[in-house]
Amino acid sequence: MRHASRKEQKHATQRRLVEVGLDFFAARGFANSNTADFAKAAGVSHGAVFLHFPTREALVLRVLDAFGDRLSAALREAMQGEASFKGALRAHLTVLREYEPFYARLVQEGPLLPLKARSLLFILNASVSHRLKLAAEAEAAAGAMRKIAPHLLFNTWLALLHYYIANRDVFAPGQSVLAAKGEELIAHFLSLVRSGEKP
Amino acid sequence: MTVKCVSCGSCGFPMEKAEDFALGDPSQPYCRYCTDSAGALLPYENVLAVNARHYVETQGVSPEAARTMAAALLASMPAWRDRAPI
Repeated sequence: MRHASRKEQKHATQRRLVEVGLDFFAARGFANSNTADFAKAAGVSHGAVFLHFPTREALVLRVLDAFGDRLSAALREAMQGEASFKGALRAHLTVLREYEPFYARLVQEGPLLPLKARSLLFILNASVSHRLKLAAEAEAAAGAMRKIAPHLLFNTWLALLHYYIANRDVFAPGQSVLAAKGEELIAHFLSLVRSGEKP
Repeated sequence: MTVKCVSCGSCGFPMEKAEDFALGDPSQPYCRYCTDSAGALLPYENVLAVNARHYVETQGVSPEAARTMAAALLASMPAWRDRAPI
């Protein structure tokens, strides 16, 4: 049996630390966590963390990159080919629900993170907004939806979601707020943007 | 024609259909927005401007913030990650 090279072992350890980081930062947040506790959670020495990531910020950015890659792939898969506006909203919500604990941290602490990290949400959301715009344009052309500027349509939807996510402990204690309130939020948002529907 | 969805190596745009690729050719590494009519990768500044405009249009952020976000995105892309910072 071939032994893993030192480089392969290093990459494997880094991947494992990133996996631990996804759970660790989802549970502890970014601002109120430290690398000593992260090392404990990962079962490595404090110094070993810095062998792989020169700074705490480098660790956070790597974990955020991994999260962004996964969320982006999941959103793409869920929303690809989803032509109806309601279907696109539901696909968006379903994916966020899957990643809700980590995503909630980004919503709650995003403005406190370095700009590079903050950019992640906007980069991810550009493609979601684009998908919603395409679906909305098709339904507006058919007279089923009001014509609304794409950025306002998206930001209004996101404001609704983020308010519930940021206050998830109040709206749905101990459970996923998107699972508990998602359908209600979709129905409400549709009542605002659809032609002829009363809120 | 639908092809296996891959991302543009310059901007990350998901290339789902043949026409999304440079020259309409799914073997190309970049999307049609990041390349010229001959399929060559556009200069960094052009790609940055196109991506920044996308953030303005889809989310209404300021042009300055949009440029910062676009630069953050491009810095991790294969086409630009080894590029010296401005």
